[in-house]
Amino acid sequence: MKILTCPMNGPRNITEFQYLGPFRAMPDPDDASDTDWAQYLFRAENSRGPVVEWWRHTPSNYVFLAERHLGTGDVIRTFDPSEGRPS
Amino acid sequence: MTRVFPLSANGAAGDVMHLCVDHNGTDIQDLTAVARFGLKGPRATEWFEARGIDLPPVNRQIHLADMTVLRLGKQDIMLLADPLAPEPMSKVAESWRKNPTGYSSWREEAWAWLRVTGPTAGATLSQITTFDFRESAFDINAIAQTRVAHQDMVLCRTETGFDLLFDIAATAQVVRDLDAARKLEDRH
Repeated sequence: MKILTCPMNGPRNITEFQYLGPFRAMPDPDDASDTDWAQYLFRAENSRGPVVEWWRHTPSNYVFLAERHLGTGDVIRTFDPSEGRPS
Repeated sequence: MTRVFPLSANGAAGDVMHLCVDHNGTDIQDLTAVARFGLKGPRATEWFEARGIDLPPVNRQIHLADMTVLRLGKQDIMLLADPLAPEPMSKVAESWRKNPTGYSSWREEAWAWLRVTGPTAGATLSQITTFDFRESAFDINAIAQTRVAHQDMVLCRTETGFDLLFDIAATAQVVRDLDAARKLEDRH
């Protein structure tokens, strides 16, 4: 069983978590072009390397960020959004 | 106002509860009908602190004179009434309704509340979860929000056993799983 460490609840089975997608800065909906807005909504980078993602611990409904390597699947760190979001 | 609660006269678990009384091992008590109050959202903690109610750290509980305070998140607090004297906690909930801050997390009707006690309570629960129930890892007054019996559950360790809070619609299934785990534990 893969273990993910929730910043609030500690290490738990991966089955306690829901993947919510990669962290992406949202373009200004008033100024963004249709192309940029569609890119934000429907396209995601699929690069090989570290990426920051949103995850949710479902029993506590706690949402946090995890930095994970898409090549190895290794979780580098998990952290609360208040600790700073990636630029 | 009509209030259909609990779901049956014997509590939310209804007729399956009688299976689970075992005074030598694990006892299961349905406290679903006992009052409780949950508050979430911005300034929820300030609301309690302004009324002199001490709040524990996240995932801990503290026992006050007439209620138990559970901290389920930074801004997620729940009060459990004393089953024998629920009035003081009900007064707190009533005062919030007159001057609300944050929002009610609706714990009083959406969740079942079971109390599991007895010398084999921890061993019984450990049959239906991967969570580490040893006291060295999960001490008295600690709270775990985890999966038990295939349900998202809030587990609180008390001096006598465990309080379980979970989706009320799953009550009968959880009680049956606990009963099966109790019988399995008895055979060990």
